Amino acid sequence: MARLGELERKVMDVLWESMGSEKTVRQVAEELPNHAYTTILTVLDRLQRKHMVRRTKDGRAHRYAATASREAYTAELMLEALGAAPDRDAVLVRFAEVVTSSEASVLRQALDGVAGEPGTANPASGPKAPT
Amino acid sequence: MRLYLVAAGLLGLSVTCLGPGSSWLAAARWTSRAPRAAVVLWQAIGVTGAVAAIGAGLAVAVVRFGVGFRAGLGDLAAGLVDGHPLSGLGLPDALGLTLAADVAIVLATVVAITMVRTVRARARHRRVLDLVGIGSEEAAGALLLDHPKATAYCLPGIRPRIVVSAGALRLLHSSELAAVIEHERGHACEHHGLVMLPLTSLVEPLRWIPYARLAPTAVGLLLEMAADDYSARQHDRHDLARALVRMGTAMAAPECAFAAAGISVPARVQRLLTEDTTSRAAATAAVCAASVLLLAPFAALLA
Repeated sequence: MARLGELERKVMDVLWESMGSEKTVRQVAEELPNHAYTTILTVLDRLQRKHMVRRTKDGRAHRYAATASREAYTAELMLEALGAAPDRDAVLVRFAEVVTSSEASVLRQALDGVAGEPGTANPASGPKAPT
Repeated sequence: MRLYLVAAGLLGLSVTCLGPGSSWLAAARWTSRAPRAAVVLWQAIGVTGAVAAIGAGLAVAVVRFGVGFRAGLGDLAAGLVDGHPLSGLGLPDALGLTLAADVAIVLATVVAITMVRTVRARARHRRVLDLVGIGSEEAAGALLLDHPKATAYCLPGIRPRIVVSAGALRLLHSSELAAVIEHERGHACEHHGLVMLPLTSLVEPLRWIPYARLAPTAVGLLLEMAADDYSARQHDRHDLARALVRMGTAMAAPECAFAAAGISVPARVQRLLTEDTTSRAAATAAVCAASVLLLAPFAALLA
């Protein structure tokens, strides 16, 4: 099961690499030489059922393409994670909520007072070496 | 006559739990010193509120049998099995039965519907996540999302996932990142998603009940504190506090304007900076109160 999941990732990677063009099962299998043709076919079938992959008929062959780019899927997940999507049902548990800028400066001062770290670090400047 | 008194008492208990009791607990300050026990108390007043209302309805409905609650319940069930559950029903009996059935059916339906919807949404999220997420050495134990904005979250479920974004990786020191991942692991290990599920499902349909309105926010914050404590067992609490401020500030960027602003971050940071934050006495008292509440309706009905 875990192995099949790993293979699904590999197949999606192949399709995402060639975003915009469609590939036959054989073309996908050629890029994953350690796996049998039928295995790739099974995986593509599973991915299609998950709506991750779109299949079109081209003569006698079937051609497969990813339904959306990797970036689009990542953006979709981030939208849910950042709370931009309506999330009445608490699909996930977030680490932090938004802090207003006035709150943030008060909190940073409190942190400085206790930890003695130059905590006014501008987040945009990236992390310094761990203390 | 005794059953009418019991019913009145139970109705009073139900209203007290779901109304003033909830307002009191939402405003209480001791809860941040015993977050887990406070969550148990929140659950107890919710369950007691519902059970007491159902019990009150049933008590009124079985008065006509004149044989006490337990035997009356048996007669009621026998009538139901024989196919004439409504025979000999007077107005008070009918009202009582309606109350009991309504509360039970509404609660069961609402929670079941939300459960199915949430499980589906989580399954879809996990399906995509397992294909898009990247294993990373920097964020051991978590999946990495290649996105510039900073976020970290736990996707609850039987096989929970902990996720951090590339933005969070850039924003946090390695010790802070470890503390954040441990915090999310706390959510996953203590099944906080399961605790929130029934509460969030009741907000929309039962907004007129103080409990339904107040519990999700209050319990959500308490669970964050519980996860903070979980992380603080292994990591420096100041690292976690710094991570909270960094992430909260980063999320305040204008493009994230939709993200819900909450009181949670300042309260949690202040709590993390205060050394002695837990109170065993408060926890014990809360759990005792929860036990008494849960037993009260049954004691009243079956005594």
